[in-house]
This record gives sequence, structure tokens and C-alpha cells, in this order.
Amino acid sequence: MASKKAAQKSLSLAPVLDLNEATALHAQLMGLKGGPLVIDASAVERVGALCAQVLMAGAKSWEEDKQPFTFAKVSEPFMKTMQLIGVNIDHLLAQEARQ
Amino acid sequence: MKKKVLTVDDSRTIRNMLLVTLNNAGFETIQAEDGVEGLEVLETSNPDVIVTDINMPRLDGFGFIEGVRRNEKFRAIPILVLTTESDAEKKNRARQAGATGWIVKPFDPTKLIDAIERVTA
Amino acid sequence: MDMNEIKEIFFQECEEQLAELESGLLKLNDGDRDPETVNAVFRAVHSIKGGAGAFGLDDLVSFAHVFETTLDCVRSNKLEPTQDVLKVMLKSADVLADLTNAARDGGSVDEARSRTLIRELEALAHGETHAAEPAAPKPVAAAPKPAEPAPVVAKPEVNDEGFQPIPFSFGDFDEEPAAKYVPTCQIVFRPNRELYAKGNEAVLLLRDLSRLGEMSVYCDMDRLPPLDKMNPEEAYFSWKMSVTTDKGEDGVRSVFEFAEWDCELDVRTIEEEVTGEAADDDEPPMQAVPFDLSLLEDGPAVSGDEEPVVSESDATAAIAAADTASKVAQVASRAAENAKAAAAATAAQASQASAAGQTIRVDLDRVDRLINLVGELVINQAMLSQSVVENDNNGVSSINMGLEELQQLTREIQDSVMAIRAQPVKPVFQRMARTVREIADITGKSVRLITEGENTEVDKTVIDKLAEPLTHMIRNAVDHGLEMPEKREALGKNPEGTVRLTAKHRSGRIVIELADDGAGINREKVRQKAIDNDLIAADANLSDEEIDNLIFHAGFSTADKVSDLSGRGVGMDVVKRSIQALGGRISISSKPGQGSVFTMSLPLTLAVLDGMVVTVAGQTLVVPLTAIVETLQPEASAIHSFGASQRLISIRNSFCPLVDVGRILNFRATQANPIEGVALLVESEGGGQRALMVDAIQGQRQVVIKSLEANYTHVPGIAAATILGDGRVALILDVDAVVAASRGQPLRQDISLAATG
Repeated sequence: MASKKAAQKSLSLAPVLDLNEATALHAQLMGLKGGPLVIDASAVERVGALCAQVLMAGAKSWEEDKQPFTFAKVSEPFMKTMQLIGVNIDHLLAQEARQ
Repeated sequence: MKKKVLTVDDSRTIRNMLLVTLNNAGFETIQAEDGVEGLEVLETSNPDVIVTDINMPRLDGFGFIEGVRRNEKFRAIPILVLTTESDAEKKNRARQAGATGWIVKPFDPTKLIDAIERVTA
Repeated sequence: MDMNEIKEIFFQECEEQLAELESGLLKLNDGDRDPETVNAVFRAVHSIKGGAGAFGLDDLVSFAHVFETTLDCVRSNKLEPTQDVLKVMLKSADVLADLTNAARDGGSVDEARSRTLIRELEALAHGETHAAEPAAPKPVAAAPKPAEPAPVVAKPEVNDEGFQPIPFSFGDFDEEPAAKYVPTCQIVFRPNRELYAKGNEAVLLLRDLSRLGEMSVYCDMDRLPPLDKMNPEEAYFSWKMSVTTDKGEDGVRSVFEFAEWDCELDVRTIEEEVTGEAADDDEPPMQAVPFDLSLLEDGPAVSGDEEPVVSESDATAAIAAADTASKVAQVASRAAENAKAAAAATAAQASQASAAGQTIRVDLDRVDRLINLVGELVINQAMLSQSVVENDNNGVSSINMGLEELQQLTREIQDSVMAIRAQPVKPVFQRMARTVREIADITGKSVRLITEGENTEVDKTVIDKLAEPLTHMIRNAVDHGLEMPEKREALGKNPEGTVRLTAKHRSGRIVIELADDGAGINREKVRQKAIDNDLIAADANLSDEEIDNLIFHAGFSTADKVSDLSGRGVGMDVVKRSIQALGGRISISSKPGQGSVFTMSLPLTLAVLDGMVVTVAGQTLVVPLTAIVETLQPEASAIHSFGASQRLISIRNSFCPLVDVGRILNFRATQANPIEGVALLVESEGGGQRALMVDAIQGQRQVVIKSLEANYTHVPGIAAATILGDGRVALILDVDAVVAASRGQPLRQDISLAATG
């Protein structure tokens, strides 16, 4: 795809996003900065608050960089957990993922 | 999927009570007899939650908890300590070592299960 | 496994812990100051307390609690474990053992003793050296427990957004009894980094909170820095929630029980009306959490999104696919690594386990069944050998060689199986420590018990039956053997007497020695007593050794007055009989002024026996080899008759009664002719020798003991039976019973060899 935009990258989230995963996820996101990102959260079984923080910090940074940051696919546990902890990601959901 | 519980206690009586209680509640239970064995078993069992005693030979509960928290792979596992009475000092030390929560011995099966449910997803 | 089984395990464990406790305390008493020793002692009591609590054994719990508290003072160096302190602790260990037994078997304990000790223990814990004033004994149950620290109520925080918790008054609220409406709690929750580090999880706390009732949540993300400035393990999010629940504030706080140390938490109850109004204030918008929470519990749920998501671009898909592929590879290699690591860990574990010497607990019945089967195997093998030998004249056939191997193998299996029943004498020795303490207390003597060779192993039955005679001997040693401290001092001895209990293996038997450094046997007194009791003639010429051994005669006691301890109707004769019943021997050697040594030699197992196979009136009998002193061929000149039917045999200038085994067992109606047979000189009860007359000696061999009681019924004069190589049953002679019968006492039903047990 020859485009002015940097090539769109994607990131698949691990099934368990716990304390240990927070650092790994942070490092992954740091490595993907600068271009549009599509996140696949379809395999997620468990999300902890720390990973939610990392994801939201990512969303914030991407927004500052004016790059799209979207969740293409989300699992139900992922959505429900986000909802439970009051983190609204509706605006980050790809069209297809919205209900 | 069954939740896996690792119990660490040197008392055969308590081990058996934990085993019966946890199995009845539908958990998979792995047992170790002291902190040293606990750390060994941990490597191969990857439990969802750990229940440990404090007073044990070779490596006590405090040392065991610290060991788990230092372990890159397993430091996120919730750890519940069994304390004989609501001994504030011991609870404090256990927390400082990295315990997630505690269960007062002699434990009431419902409370044990509640505590486990509370710290596991 | 049910509760009763666990309870049984608990009591087994108590026994082990009590032994641990005692040996630890004794080590401390000997000056051991290893912190691990103190820890082990503490753990033992702690563990008993823990289990006892689980079974609601309150007496045990209360006593253990006080004991534990005092031990904790020693552990934390607040209390020096002096001899005086340890004296109290050792007594407490005894009481703890009594309480455990009472809990198991019912029955009662000496409550006054427990109460006294509780006072003494408490006095020690409170830094007093002596519980001299029992003025206000505190009941254990009332021992104040450290109060739970009151939960810290975080000060209401004003967050960046200007959100303020709604002010309201607790006052009128608290008085409302069972309000009709369900209260709503407003919660401000700001976790620290530590909360996550300790394995707690804000998500789970919120989950539990949402289960209390209807919940709305607002997540404050203002402190969240941009990605490159953040520490992924730092806590940035904080939450404000409102939960409408009938569980109230307490219910909310209990959710945070484990977390409240590592977060700022503010919980308030607000009235519905106020909530309504407050909502109009600076209240940040809250997100209601209405969904079904069960999904969160059930772990992996099927992704809600079944429809294939159209990729934004082909490139993305390709990258994603490549990414996935590489991930799969990664996962695979990681899995392999894990497997390797796991295998290594398992191997390491296994090697460590073997180094530590693993044990299993096996029901004794199973072991005995195995022992029995091996016994059968031995017999069967012997029978097979015999029939092969009988039917094969050339004797060098390969069958013979195979049989020899089989024989060796069988013997090895037998030895190994016997070893299963072998246990160290340690528990019995440990019980003796208590006996010594108790009797030292009663007699006012100062005694030190030294044990050696505690790990010497012997058959469990022997161990079980050893305790009683040993207890009696130790009582005797302290009561009669050791002098009072003042007297010892006057004699230039250490005022503290020493009793030494040792065990060792010697030529296939276990030898247990009990030595004291007391006065030794008063031979004059013993001799006089024996004369008074018509045991010996007034002018009898006895060696020192013979005089010493007189104390094993029935009803013999040199104590001038019957003391509280030894006067329980048990004399050394009973001790000797119990030892003999185990197939053992006992002897004494004494040095005046220096003390006495009792030596017991016992078989290592009661399942096999070295015996002499003899023929009596066409019957085959086995005489335990341990009973036989020597065998001899009587000559006509050596036989003397006296009385109606009694005969004596002269052996080296002394006379020994002849015992006609065939007559006594009713194998024949007439007296045997001694000259045609063989005499077995045996040591019998009371130390005297008798000559057992048998027709012929077939040989010596090890035989497997088969209980007659279990398979048939008790036969007087017969201890047990065995099966010989030719398949015939041979009876094992109860030497003592036969000798007793020869003295005119009819064979009694109750005399039996314990070996059958």
C-alpha cells in the first residue's frame, strides 16, 4: 500500500492481561508508536487495571500523535471489564466491532 | 476451566482440610509442605492462587511469599496467608512480604472459598 | 476422606508434634540455642493449636495458646530459656500431651495441674520468673487478643476535576432502625502501586462491589500520563463509585478488606434524596454497570464477535498473519522450553526428595499381610527345595541351582519386608523422659536422662511392648537406685543423678541398656530379703552376680517402705517376664556406690525365630534358641531321682531339675528315659536352670512364626506354630510355661508367648 500514511500496524492482545503483561504490553505499544494501530482484543480472557491503564495511555498518546488507535475486535470479557471499571472505549471501537 | 490452587502448609491436618474443602468447591488442588517445596512446585504447576501457612520449617510463609513476588513468571499470583488468629503483627508482616489477603485459621470453608474467589478472576 | 479421617490424621500429627516438642525442649535444656530449635518447638505447639481449633477442641486450643505465647517470648528473645523456664515448659508439654489424649480418647486431665501451668506460663510470658502469687489467675479464654486496627478512613479527597464527596451527617442516620430504603454508598477508591504488586486487582474489587447491588462507576484517568512517560506498574486510575446495597458501608468495606492497606479509600452512606440532588452538582458522569457479571467469572468466553472482521487493508492482514505465525512459532518454542524446564524441575525435585528420604504411611494391616505372605513364600520355597532334593539323586541339576537362588532371594525379600515393620526406638525413649521428670518431681531427686542410639530400629511390636517394662525400670532406677541430692553431695557425687538409656544393635539383636550412677544394689539387703522369703538357704554361697539377679524373683522388693511409685504391685520379676515374652533376656550388673546397669537383649523381629527343631514322642517341636543355654547327652550316672516323680541331673557339680517335655505336654503317658534322649539346658523364669528332656535334635533353623491363637486356639505350653520344609506343622515350645508346669503348676491358659501377637 503506497500511501503517505505510515503503514498500519496491528497488535493482538494476550489472553491474560495481568500485572506481568502490563510491562510487556507497554513495550509493545512503545514499539508501535508513530503510526496507525489496530488492536485485536478478541483473545482476551482477563484484563487487569494496569493493562487497561497502558491501553488508555496508548490511546492518549496516539491521539496526541493524531494517529488512529482502534480496537478492531474485542472479546466479551474485555468489553465487560472495561465497562465495569468505567473505562469507555466506545469511541475507539472500529465500526465492525460496534454493536 | 477449574481454578488451580497451590496450598503450602506443613501440617498434614490442615493440608487435608484444605484439600477436602477445595476439592469439594471444585478447585484443582496442588499441595506443598513448606516454602521450599512451595517454590519448587510453583515452577511446574502455575496455579491461579496460592494459600500458604506462615510457620513452616525450611522456609516460612514470609520467605515463601517474598520468593513468589521476586519470581518474574509468578509474581502476579494472588497469595492468601493462613494465620491462626487475627494477629495484626503477622498479618502486617505477611502484607509487607507481598501477601494479597489472609484467612483466619481455623478456617471456615465458606470464608476460604470466598477469599479465593475474591482475589481470583 | 471425611472429617473423621482428617481428625485421625490430626491426632497422629499431634503425636509427632509432641515428640518434636519434647525433643526440642530437651535440646534447649542441654543448652542448644539454635533459633531453628526454638522455631521447631514453637511450630509444634502452633500446629497442634491450629488443628485443634479446626475441630473445636477448646481445652487444647486454650492451653496451646498460652503455651505458644510463652514460647513466642523465647523465640523473640524476650525470655531466656533457663532451666527453670524449661522445667515449666517440659511439664507443659506433658499436659499438652495429656490434653491431646483426652481429646482423642475422652477421659479427663488433671485440671488443677493444667491451671497451675497456665499461671506459670503466663507469669513467664509477663516477665516474672516465678508464679509465686497465683492471686488473680486469668482464665485463658479471657486472654486479651490484640484488637483489630480500626480501618483507616481516608480523608475525603478533592480530585482534579473538583469532584467533592457529598457532605452529610452520620448522626441522624445511624439511629434509623432498618430503614425502608436501601442505602447507597459513595466510594472513592484510589489504589497504590503496592495494591497491584501484592496480587490484588482493582477490577476484581469493582467486580465484587458490583455484586453488592446496583453500581455506577466513574474512572478518573486524569493522572494517567502519556505512554512514554508512564510506568506500566504504577497505579494511575482511581475510581468513584456509588453502590446501592442493603449490605451498607460494612459490606462495602469488607470488599476492600485485603486492599485497604494499599489504597486510599473513602466510604460514605448517602440518602437517596441527597444522591438525587448531588447528581446535579459537580458530579462527574457515572457509567452504570448493569451487565450480567457471570461472564467475568467464567473466564474464557467465546468472543462476542463471531462475524469475520473485514481487514482494513490486505497489507494489514498479511502483517497480522505473519505476526500471528511468528507468535505461534514463539509460543511453540516457548512451550518446548517450558516442557524442558518442567522436566528439569521435576527431576531436581525427585533427586531432592530422595536425598531427604521420603516416607509413606501404610496401614499396618497391609504390612502384616505382606509379611504373612512372605512367610508363606519362605515355607513354600523350603518345601519345594526339600521335595526336589528328595526326588533328585544327582544333586547338581540346574533345578538345584535355581532353587538355591530362589532361597537366597526369598530370604532377602523376607529381610526387606521385616525391615518395613522396623521403627526407631525414639518414641519410647522420649516417653521415658517424661517418666523421669515425673518421678524426679515426686521423689525430690534431681535427675538427668541421657539417651543414646534413639534411631536404632526394631520391630514395631517390640517397641510397643517395650514401654511398660522400661517405664518400670526407670522408676526403679530413680526411686531405688539414685540417692537423694544431699546424700549424693555428701558422697562427693554430682547432686544431679544420671540415668543413661542406650540402644544398639548387636549380632542380630537389639540391646538396650539402662544405667544409673546411683548406689548400686545393696547386696546384704537383697541377700537377707531372699533368705527371709525362703528364696535361698541362709547359708547359700552366692556370687555377687547371683545375688544381683535375685531381684528378678517374684515379689521381690528391697524398698523398706512401699513408695508411691514402685509400690504398684509390679516387681522386677514382671519386667523380666515381659522381656522374656518378647523373646528377650535381661540381666543386671551392679557396682556398689557406682550404680547399676540393666541390659536387655531383644530380637529384632517377632515374625521369625531362630529355633532348635527337636523330636518329642514322635512330634516335632521348636525350642527358641534364645532360651537354650547348652545341650547335653545325659549319662545314667548323672540322673538322680527324688520324690515321687522328680528327677535331677547333675551338671558340673550342681543339680538341675529334669523337665520331661513329653509328659508335660501329654505326648506320652510314661516317663521318658533320659539316657535315650537329649537334655536342653534352658534358662527359665527367675533365673534358674532346667534341663528339658527331648528325644532327639533335628537341627537348628529359622522358622516363621504362625500364631496359633489366630489360626486355631491357644494351647497351654505352646507359644506358636510354624510350618517346616516338609510341610508339617511344628509347635513352638513356650519354655517358661513348660518349666512352670514342671514345678507342679498346671499349664495355664494365660501364659503365652507374646511372639504370637
